[in-house]
Amino acid sequence: MSIKSKIINVGIADIKVGKDADVLRTTLGSCIGIVLYDPDQKIGAISHIMLAKDPTGKDMSKFPHKYGETALPILIDMMKKEGSEIGQYNCRIFGGASMFKGINSQFLQNIGEQNILIVRKFMEEKKIPIIVEDVAGNEGRTISLYCDDGRVLLKKAGMEKYLYKVR
Amino acid sequence: MLKSKVDEVLQDVNKLPAISSVVSKVLEKLQKPDVNIADLAQEISKDPAITANVIKLSNSAYYRASKPIRTVQEALMTLGIKTVKEIVLLTAAKGILAQDLNSYQLEAAQLWTASLLVAELSSKIVQHKKLKIDKDLAFTSGLLCSVGKIVLAQFFSPVMMQLKTDLKNNQEPFPSLEKKYFGYTHMEVSETLLKRWNFPPELTDVVANYLTPEASKVNPLLTSVVHIASILIVVSGIGIDIGGESVPISPFALSQTGVTDADIETYFVHIPDLQAGLADLLNV
Repeated sequence: MSIKSKIINVGIADIKVGKDADVLRTTLGSCIGIVLYDPDQKIGAISHIMLAKDPTGKDMSKFPHKYGETALPILIDMMKKEGSEIGQYNCRIFGGASMFKGINSQFLQNIGEQNILIVRKFMEEKKIPIIVEDVAGNEGRTISLYCDDGRVLLKKAGMEKYLYKVR
Repeated sequence: MLKSKVDEVLQDVNKLPAISSVVSKVLEKLQKPDVNIADLAQEISKDPAITANVIKLSNSAYYRASKPIRTVQEALMTLGIKTVKEIVLLTAAKGILAQDLNSYQLEAAQLWTASLLVAELSSKIVQHKKLKIDKDLAFTSGLLCSVGKIVLAQFFSPVMMQLKTDLKNNQEPFPSLEKKYFGYTHMEVSETLLKRWNFPPELTDVVANYLTPEASKVNPLLTSVVHIASILIVVSGIGIDIGGESVPISPFALSQTGVTDADIETYFVHIPDLQAGLADLLNV
Protein backbone atom coordinates (compact mmCIF):
# COMPACT_ATOMS: atom_id res chain seq x y z
CA MET A 1 0.00 0.00 0.00
CA SER A 2 1.53 3.32 -1.03
CA ILE A 3 1.54 6.48 1.00
CA LYS A 4 -1.13 7.95 -1.25
CA SER A 5 -3.51 5.04 -0.66
CA LYS A 6 -6.91 5.90 0.64
CA ILE A 7 -8.96 3.16 2.24
CA ILE A 8 -12.62 3.45 1.32
CA ASN A 9 -14.91 1.30 3.42
CA VAL A 10 -17.84 -0.15 1.55
CA GLY A 11 -20.55 -0.68 4.15
CA ILE A 12 -23.35 -3.20 4.10
CA ALA A 13 -25.81 -2.36 1.28
CA ASP A 14 -23.40 0.15 -0.18
CA ILE A 15 -21.58 0.77 -3.50
CA LYS A 16 -18.28 2.59 -3.90
CA VAL A 17 -16.02 3.35 -6.85
CA GLY A 18 -12.29 4.04 -6.64
CA LYS A 19 -9.27 4.50 -8.86
CA ASP A 20 -5.46 4.43 -8.85
CA ALA A 21 -4.21 4.42 -5.25
CA ASP A 22 -7.64 3.87 -3.68
CA VAL A 23 -8.29 0.70 -1.73
CA LEU A 24 -11.91 -0.43 -1.49
CA ARG A 25 -12.65 -2.68 1.46
CA THR A 26 -15.70 -4.60 2.65
CA THR A 27 -16.57 -7.42 5.05
CA LEU A 28 -19.03 -10.11 4.05
CA GLY A 29 -21.07 -12.77 5.81
CA SER A 30 -23.98 -14.05 3.78
CA CYS A 31 -23.92 -10.90 1.67
CA ILE A 32 -22.14 -10.81 -1.68
CA GLY A 33 -19.38 -8.45 -2.69
CA ILE A 34 -19.32 -7.80 -6.41
CA VAL A 35 -15.96 -6.48 -7.58
CA LEU A 36 -15.62 -4.83 -10.99
CA TYR A 37 -12.19 -3.80 -12.22
CA ASP A 38 -10.94 -2.09 -15.35
CA PRO A 39 -7.21 -2.94 -15.55
CA ASP A 40 -6.35 -0.41 -18.27
CA GLN A 41 -7.82 2.62 -16.55
CA LYS A 42 -7.28 1.31 -12.98
CA ILE A 43 -10.91 1.90 -12.06
CA GLY A 44 -12.61 -0.42 -9.57
CA ALA A 45 -15.92 -0.74 -7.78
CA ILE A 46 -17.45 -2.87 -5.06
CA SER A 47 -21.15 -3.40 -4.55
CA HIS A 48 -22.15 -5.08 -1.27
CA ILE A 49 -25.62 -6.55 -1.64
CA MET A 50 -27.67 -8.25 1.09
CA LEU A 51 -30.39 -9.94 -0.92
CA ALA A 52 -31.14 -10.74 -4.54
CA LYS A 53 -34.61 -9.19 -4.43
CA ASP A 54 -36.66 -7.07 -2.08
CA PRO A 55 -39.08 -9.50 -0.39
CA THR A 56 -41.56 -6.73 0.40
CA GLY A 57 -41.22 -4.73 -2.80
CA LYS A 58 -41.39 -1.57 -0.69
CA ASP A 59 -37.83 -1.17 0.52
CA MET A 60 -35.88 -1.19 -2.73
CA SER A 61 -36.89 2.29 -3.86
CA LYS A 62 -35.63 3.66 -0.53
CA PHE A 63 -32.52 1.48 -0.30
CA PRO A 64 -31.67 0.38 -3.85
CA HIS A 65 -28.11 -0.61 -2.96
CA LYS A 66 -29.38 -3.36 -0.66
CA TYR A 67 -30.80 -5.60 -3.36
CA GLY A 68 -29.13 -7.23 -6.36
CA GLU A 69 -31.95 -6.37 -8.75
CA THR A 70 -31.58 -2.64 -8.10
CA ALA A 71 -27.91 -2.40 -7.09
CA LEU A 72 -26.35 -4.11 -10.10
CA PRO A 73 -27.63 -1.65 -12.74
CA ILE A 74 -26.49 1.22 -10.47
CA LEU A 75 -23.05 -0.38 -10.20
CA ILE A 76 -22.75 -0.47 -13.99
CA ASP A 77 -23.89 3.16 -14.21
CA MET A 78 -21.34 4.24 -11.62
CA MET A 79 -18.52 2.58 -13.58
CA LYS A 80 -19.78 4.32 -16.70
CA LYS A 81 -19.73 7.70 -14.98
CA GLU A 82 -16.09 7.09 -14.07
CA GLY A 83 -15.42 6.43 -17.76
CA SER A 84 -15.42 2.64 -17.84
CA GLU A 85 -17.81 0.85 -20.18
CA ILE A 86 -18.87 -2.80 -20.31
CA GLY A 87 -16.13 -4.72 -22.10
CA GLN A 88 -13.40 -2.81 -20.29
CA TYR A 89 -13.85 -4.55 -16.94
CA ASN A 90 -14.31 -8.02 -15.46
CA CYS A 91 -16.21 -9.23 -12.43
CA ARG A 92 -15.16 -11.15 -9.33
CA ILE A 93 -17.54 -12.25 -6.55
CA PHE A 94 -17.00 -13.03 -2.87
CA GLY A 95 -19.15 -13.92 0.15
CA GLY A 96 -22.53 -15.60 0.17
CA ALA A 97 -21.88 -17.68 3.26
CA SER A 98 -25.60 -18.00 3.71
CA MET A 99 -25.90 -20.23 6.73
CA PHE A 100 -29.07 -19.43 8.57
CA LYS A 101 -28.75 -22.71 10.41
CA GLY A 102 -31.41 -23.78 12.86
CA ILE A 103 -34.36 -22.20 11.11
CA ASN A 104 -36.73 -23.60 8.54
CA SER A 105 -37.25 -20.70 6.20
CA GLN A 106 -36.29 -21.56 2.64
CA PHE A 107 -35.91 -17.89 1.93
CA LEU A 108 -33.34 -17.35 4.67
CA GLN A 109 -31.40 -20.52 3.99
CA ASN A 110 -31.07 -19.66 0.32
CA ILE A 111 -30.01 -16.04 0.65
CA GLY A 112 -26.40 -16.68 -0.35
CA GLU A 113 -27.36 -18.96 -3.22
CA GLN A 114 -29.95 -16.51 -4.56
CA ASN A 115 -27.40 -13.72 -4.34
CA ILE A 116 -24.89 -15.72 -6.36
CA LEU A 117 -27.52 -16.63 -8.95
CA ILE A 118 -28.72 -13.10 -9.54
CA VAL A 119 -25.16 -11.83 -9.98
CA ARG A 120 -24.31 -14.63 -12.44
CA LYS A 121 -27.50 -14.04 -14.42
CA PHE A 122 -26.99 -10.28 -14.57
CA MET A 123 -23.34 -10.57 -15.63
CA GLU A 124 -24.21 -13.13 -18.27
CA GLU A 125 -26.91 -10.86 -19.72
CA LYS A 126 -24.55 -7.91 -19.76
CA LYS A 127 -21.69 -10.05 -21.10
CA ILE A 128 -19.40 -9.24 -18.19
CA PRO A 129 -17.17 -12.25 -17.44
CA ILE A 130 -16.95 -13.50 -13.85
CA ILE A 131 -13.30 -14.49 -13.60
CA VAL A 132 -12.93 -15.29 -9.88
CA GLU A 133 -15.38 -16.63 -7.30
CA ASP A 134 -14.83 -17.31 -3.62
CA VAL A 135 -18.31 -17.94 -2.31
CA ALA A 136 -20.43 -20.06 0.06
CA GLY A 137 -19.15 -21.95 3.12
CA ASN A 138 -19.59 -20.52 6.60
CA GLU A 139 -16.61 -18.19 6.75
CA GLY A 140 -16.62 -14.45 6.98
CA ARG A 141 -14.57 -12.69 4.33
CA THR A 142 -12.88 -9.33 4.25
CA ILE A 143 -11.89 -8.23 0.76
CA SER A 144 -9.72 -5.28 -0.22
CA LEU A 145 -9.51 -4.18 -3.83
CA TYR A 146 -6.29 -2.32 -4.68
CA CYS A 147 -7.23 -0.11 -7.59
CA ASP A 148 -3.59 0.41 -8.65
CA ASP A 149 -3.32 -3.11 -10.09
CA GLY A 150 -6.66 -4.72 -9.28
CA ARG A 151 -5.37 -7.33 -6.86
CA VAL A 152 -7.77 -8.43 -4.14
CA LEU A 153 -6.59 -9.24 -0.63
CA LEU A 154 -8.90 -11.94 0.69
CA LYS A 155 -8.98 -12.66 4.42
CA LYS A 156 -11.00 -15.56 5.72
CA ALA A 157 -10.83 -18.14 8.49
CA GLY A 158 -7.36 -17.16 9.62
CA MET A 159 -5.83 -17.04 6.13
CA GLU A 160 -4.84 -14.07 3.99
CA LYS A 161 -4.00 -14.22 0.31
CA TYR A 162 -3.69 -11.95 -2.68
CA LEU A 163 -5.62 -12.78 -5.82
CA TYR A 164 -3.95 -11.19 -8.83
CA LYS A 165 -6.21 -12.37 -11.66
CA VAL A 166 -7.79 -9.29 -13.23
CA ARG A 167 -8.31 -10.31 -16.88
CA MET B 1 -2.48 -25.63 26.21
CA LEU B 2 -2.33 -22.00 27.23
CA LYS B 3 -4.83 -22.32 30.05
CA SER B 4 -2.37 -21.61 32.84
CA LYS B 5 -1.23 -18.43 31.08
CA VAL B 6 -4.81 -17.29 30.57
CA ASP B 7 -5.48 -18.12 34.22
CA GLU B 8 -2.58 -15.92 35.23
CA VAL B 9 -4.03 -12.98 33.32
CA LEU B 10 -7.54 -13.56 34.62
CA GLN B 11 -6.25 -13.52 38.18
CA ASP B 12 -4.20 -10.37 37.73
CA VAL B 13 -6.46 -7.34 37.92
CA ASN B 14 -3.74 -5.14 36.45
CA LYS B 15 -3.59 -7.17 33.25
CA LEU B 16 -7.32 -7.12 32.56
CA PRO B 17 -9.17 -4.37 30.74
CA ALA B 18 -10.44 -1.99 33.40
CA ILE B 19 -13.44 0.29 33.68
CA SER B 20 -13.21 3.53 35.58
CA SER B 21 -14.07 3.40 39.27
CA VAL B 22 -16.69 6.05 38.57
CA VAL B 23 -18.53 3.62 36.28
CA SER B 24 -18.42 0.86 38.91
CA LYS B 25 -19.73 3.25 41.56
CA VAL B 26 -22.50 4.51 39.29
CA LEU B 27 -23.57 0.93 38.56
CA GLU B 28 -23.44 0.05 42.24
CA LYS B 29 -25.60 3.04 43.18
CA LEU B 30 -28.07 2.18 40.45
CA GLN B 31 -28.64 -1.27 41.87
CA LYS B 32 -30.11 0.29 45.01
CA PRO B 33 -33.83 1.09 44.88
CA ASP B 34 -33.50 4.49 46.59
CA VAL B 35 -31.00 6.04 44.19
CA ASN B 36 -30.76 9.80 44.45
CA ILE B 37 -30.31 11.96 41.32
CA ALA B 38 -28.13 14.62 42.90
CA ASP B 39 -25.91 11.92 44.35
CA LEU B 40 -25.61 10.17 41.01
CA ALA B 41 -24.88 13.41 39.16
CA GLN B 42 -22.12 14.18 41.61
CA GLU B 43 -20.56 10.74 41.15
CA ILE B 44 -20.63 10.94 37.33
CA SER B 45 -19.22 14.46 37.40
CA LYS B 46 -16.05 13.14 39.04
CA ASP B 47 -14.96 11.78 35.66
CA PRO B 48 -14.56 14.62 33.13
CA ALA B 49 -14.44 12.36 30.06
CA ILE B 50 -17.64 10.54 31.03
CA THR B 51 -19.32 13.83 31.94
CA ALA B 52 -18.46 15.29 28.56
CA ASN B 53 -19.80 12.23 26.78
CA VAL B 54 -23.00 12.18 28.83
CA ILE B 55 -23.72 15.78 27.87
CA LYS B 56 -22.69 15.29 24.24
CA LEU B 57 -24.74 12.13 23.75
CA SER B 58 -27.73 13.48 25.68
CA ASN B 59 -27.95 16.17 23.02
CA SER B 60 -27.50 13.76 20.09
CA ALA B 61 -30.24 12.87 17.64
CA TYR B 62 -30.21 9.31 18.95
CA TYR B 63 -31.53 10.23 22.40
CA ARG B 64 -33.72 13.11 21.21
CA ALA B 65 -33.80 15.18 24.41
CA SER B 66 -36.68 17.64 24.45
CA LYS B 67 -34.45 20.60 25.37
CA PRO B 68 -30.72 21.38 25.31
CA ILE B 69 -28.86 19.63 28.13
CA ARG B 70 -25.96 21.39 29.84
CA THR B 71 -25.23 19.33 32.95
CA VAL B 72 -25.30 15.72 34.11
CA GLN B 73 -28.09 16.61 36.51
CA GLU B 74 -30.17 17.98 33.63
CA ALA B 75 -29.46 14.85 31.61
CA LEU B 76 -30.67 12.68 34.50
CA MET B 77 -33.83 14.73 34.92
CA THR B 78 -34.66 14.97 31.21
CA LEU B 79 -33.67 11.55 29.93
CA GLY B 80 -34.05 9.54 33.12
CA ILE B 81 -31.65 7.50 35.17
CA LYS B 82 -31.76 4.43 32.93
CA THR B 83 -30.80 6.30 29.80
CA VAL B 84 -27.95 8.09 31.51
CA LYS B 85 -26.74 4.76 32.84
CA GLU B 86 -26.77 3.48 29.26
CA ILE B 87 -24.68 6.43 28.14
CA VAL B 88 -22.19 5.93 30.97
CA LEU B 89 -21.84 2.25 30.06
CA LEU B 90 -21.55 3.05 26.39
CA THR B 91 -18.66 5.39 27.07
CA ALA B 92 -16.93 2.81 29.24
CA ALA B 93 -17.54 0.06 26.69
CA LYS B 94 -16.15 2.14 23.84
CA GLY B 95 -12.91 2.55 25.77
CA ILE B 96 -12.58 -1.22 26.03
CA LEU B 97 -14.13 -2.47 22.78
CA ALA B 98 -12.59 -0.06 20.29
CA GLN B 99 -9.39 -1.93 19.59
CA ASP B 100 -8.01 -4.08 16.80
CA LEU B 101 -8.24 -7.83 17.41
CA ASN B 102 -5.89 -8.93 14.64
CA SER B 103 -5.82 -12.57 15.66
CA TYR B 104 -9.62 -12.69 15.42
CA GLN B 105 -9.31 -10.88 12.05
CA LEU B 106 -11.39 -8.06 13.47
CA GLU B 107 -10.69 -4.35 13.25
CA ALA B 108 -11.56 -1.91 16.04
CA ALA B 109 -14.22 -0.11 14.01
CA GLN B 110 -15.87 -3.42 13.11
CA LEU B 111 -15.86 -4.67 16.68
CA TRP B 112 -17.39 -1.45 17.98
CA THR B 113 -19.99 -1.25 15.21
CA ALA B 114 -20.96 -4.88 15.71
CA SER B 115 -21.21 -4.48 19.51
CA LEU B 116 -23.48 -1.46 19.12
CA LEU B 117 -25.61 -3.21 16.53
CA VAL B 118 -26.08 -6.32 18.68
CA ALA B 119 -27.11 -3.97 21.50
CA GLU B 120 -29.53 -2.00 19.36
CA LEU B 121 -31.04 -5.05 17.68
CA SER B 122 -31.51 -6.77 21.08
CA SER B 123 -33.39 -3.73 22.31
CA LYS B 124 -35.49 -3.62 19.10
CA ILE B 125 -36.39 -7.32 19.37
CA VAL B 126 -37.60 -6.79 22.95
CA GLN B 127 -39.83 -3.95 21.79
CA HIS B 128 -41.03 -5.65 18.61
CA LYS B 129 -41.99 -8.89 20.36
CA LYS B 130 -43.30 -6.97 23.41
CA LEU B 131 -41.20 -9.10 25.74
CA LYS B 132 -41.19 -8.44 29.45
CA ILE B 133 -37.59 -7.28 29.51
CA ASP B 134 -36.23 -3.81 30.09
CA LYS B 135 -35.02 -2.67 26.67
CA ASP B 136 -32.06 -0.83 28.21
CA LEU B 137 -30.97 -4.02 29.92
CA ALA B 138 -31.16 -5.79 26.55
CA PHE B 139 -29.07 -3.01 24.99
CA THR B 140 -26.34 -3.24 27.61
CA SER B 141 -26.19 -7.04 27.54
CA GLY B 142 -25.87 -7.02 23.78
CA LEU B 143 -23.16 -4.40 23.91
CA LEU B 144 -20.80 -6.44 26.04
CA CYS B 145 -20.97 -9.93 24.49
CA SER B 146 -17.62 -9.81 22.74
CA VAL B 147 -15.61 -8.31 25.56
CA GLY B 148 -13.86 -11.61 26.41
CA LYS B 149 -12.28 -11.69 22.95
CA ILE B 150 -10.14 -8.72 24.00
CA VAL B 151 -8.37 -10.93 26.52
CA LEU B 152 -8.12 -14.09 24.40
CA ALA B 153 -6.84 -12.20 21.34
CA GLN B 154 -3.43 -11.77 22.98
CA PHE B 155 -2.89 -15.54 23.24
CA PHE B 156 -3.37 -16.50 19.61
CA SER B 157 0.13 -16.17 18.20
CA PRO B 158 1.83 -19.29 19.61
CA VAL B 159 -1.01 -21.55 18.46
CA MET B 160 -2.05 -19.74 15.30
CA MET B 161 -0.67 -22.28 12.79
CA GLN B 162 -2.23 -25.27 14.51
CA LEU B 163 -5.47 -23.39 15.13
CA LYS B 164 -5.80 -22.49 11.45
CA THR B 165 -5.34 -26.12 10.43
CA ASP B 166 -7.96 -27.17 12.96
CA LEU B 167 -10.26 -24.42 11.77
CA LYS B 168 -10.19 -25.76 8.22
CA ASN B 169 -11.52 -29.16 9.27
CA ASN B 170 -13.62 -27.90 12.13
CA GLN B 171 -17.35 -28.48 11.98
CA GLU B 172 -18.01 -27.25 15.51
CA PRO B 173 -18.76 -23.72 16.68
CA PHE B 174 -15.60 -21.62 16.98
CA PRO B 175 -15.84 -21.30 20.79
CA SER B 176 -14.98 -25.02 20.98
CA LEU B 177 -11.58 -24.14 19.45
CA GLU B 178 -11.16 -21.29 21.94
CA LYS B 179 -11.80 -23.81 24.71
CA LYS B 180 -9.37 -26.32 23.19
CA TYR B 181 -6.49 -23.89 22.76
CA PHE B 182 -6.95 -21.36 25.55
CA GLY B 183 -8.86 -23.38 28.11
CA TYR B 184 -11.65 -20.83 28.00
CA THR B 185 -14.27 -19.63 25.57
CA HIS B 186 -14.58 -15.88 25.10
CA MET B 187 -17.96 -16.15 26.87
CA GLU B 188 -16.29 -17.53 29.99
CA VAL B 189 -13.75 -14.72 29.92
CA SER B 190 -16.51 -12.12 29.45
CA GLU B 191 -18.27 -13.58 32.47
CA THR B 192 -15.11 -13.26 34.57
CA LEU B 193 -14.62 -9.67 33.43
CA LEU B 194 -18.19 -8.61 34.21
CA LYS B 195 -18.05 -10.21 37.62
CA ARG B 196 -14.80 -8.37 38.26
CA TRP B 197 -16.54 -5.13 37.31
CA ASN B 198 -19.42 -5.86 39.70
CA PHE B 199 -22.04 -6.00 36.97
CA PRO B 200 -25.41 -7.44 38.01
CA PRO B 201 -25.87 -11.24 37.66
CA GLU B 202 -28.44 -10.82 34.89
CA LEU B 203 -25.83 -9.21 32.63
CA THR B 204 -23.13 -11.66 33.58
CA ASP B 205 -25.45 -14.54 32.75
CA VAL B 206 -26.19 -13.19 29.27
CA VAL B 207 -22.58 -12.70 28.21
CA ALA B 208 -21.71 -16.13 29.64
CA ASN B 209 -24.41 -17.92 27.62
CA TYR B 210 -25.32 -15.79 24.62
CA LEU B 211 -24.17 -18.45 22.16
CA THR B 212 -25.78 -21.28 24.16
CA PRO B 213 -28.96 -19.64 25.48
CA GLU B 214 -30.40 -22.95 26.67
CA ALA B 215 -27.66 -22.97 29.34
CA SER B 216 -28.78 -19.64 30.79
CA LYS B 217 -29.82 -19.88 34.43
CA VAL B 218 -30.74 -16.32 35.39
CA ASN B 219 -32.67 -14.99 32.42
CA PRO B 220 -33.04 -17.40 29.47
CA LEU B 221 -35.42 -15.02 27.69
CA LEU B 222 -32.98 -12.11 27.71
CA THR B 223 -30.11 -14.41 26.76
CA SER B 224 -32.19 -15.71 23.85
CA VAL B 225 -32.86 -12.20 22.58
CA VAL B 226 -29.17 -11.31 22.62
CA HIS B 227 -28.37 -14.67 21.01
CA ILE B 228 -30.62 -13.99 18.03
CA ALA B 229 -29.35 -10.42 17.65
CA SER B 230 -25.71 -11.48 17.78
CA ILE B 231 -26.12 -14.25 15.19
CA LEU B 232 -27.96 -11.94 12.79
CA ILE B 233 -25.25 -9.31 13.03
CA VAL B 234 -22.58 -11.93 12.32
CA VAL B 235 -24.54 -13.29 9.37
CA SER B 236 -24.74 -9.77 7.96
CA GLY B 237 -20.94 -9.71 8.03
CA ILE B 238 -20.57 -6.83 10.46
CA GLY B 239 -17.99 -7.84 13.03
CA ILE B 240 -17.69 -11.30 11.52
CA ASP B 241 -14.42 -12.75 12.80
CA ILE B 242 -12.20 -15.77 12.34
CA GLY B 243 -15.02 -17.95 13.67
CA GLY B 244 -17.25 -17.10 10.71
CA GLU B 245 -20.85 -18.20 10.87
CA SER B 246 -20.10 -21.31 12.88
CA VAL B 247 -22.84 -20.88 15.47
CA PRO B 248 -26.40 -21.65 14.29
CA ILE B 249 -29.49 -19.91 15.61
CA SER B 250 -30.73 -21.86 18.60
CA PRO B 251 -34.27 -23.29 18.26
CA PHE B 252 -34.55 -22.77 22.04
CA ALA B 253 -34.00 -19.03 21.57
CA LEU B 254 -36.64 -18.88 18.83
CA SER B 255 -39.24 -20.65 20.95
CA GLN B 256 -38.44 -18.56 24.04
CA THR B 257 -38.82 -15.26 22.25
CA GLY B 258 -41.48 -16.18 19.72
CA VAL B 259 -39.28 -14.77 16.97
CA THR B 260 -40.46 -16.24 13.68
CA ASP B 261 -38.63 -16.82 10.39
CA ALA B 262 -40.49 -13.83 8.98
CA ASP B 263 -39.28 -11.68 11.91
CA ILE B 264 -35.70 -12.76 11.26
CA GLU B 265 -36.06 -11.84 7.61
CA THR B 266 -37.30 -8.38 8.59
CA TYR B 267 -34.58 -7.83 11.20
CA PHE B 268 -31.89 -8.92 8.74
CA VAL B 269 -33.08 -6.66 5.95
CA HIS B 270 -33.18 -3.67 8.28
CA ILE B 271 -29.67 -4.00 9.69
CA PRO B 272 -28.29 -1.23 7.41
CA ASP B 273 -31.08 1.14 8.50
CA LEU B 274 -30.36 0.24 12.12
CA GLN B 275 -26.72 1.07 11.54
CA ALA B 276 -27.62 4.43 9.99
CA GLY B 277 -29.65 5.28 13.09
CA LEU B 278 -26.64 4.61 15.30
CA ALA B 279 -24.40 7.17 13.61
CA ASP B 280 -24.15 9.38 16.72
CA LEU B 281 -23.20 6.49 18.96
CA LEU B 282 -20.68 5.04 16.51
CA ASN B 283 -18.66 8.22 16.84
CA VAL B 284 -18.80 8.57 20.64
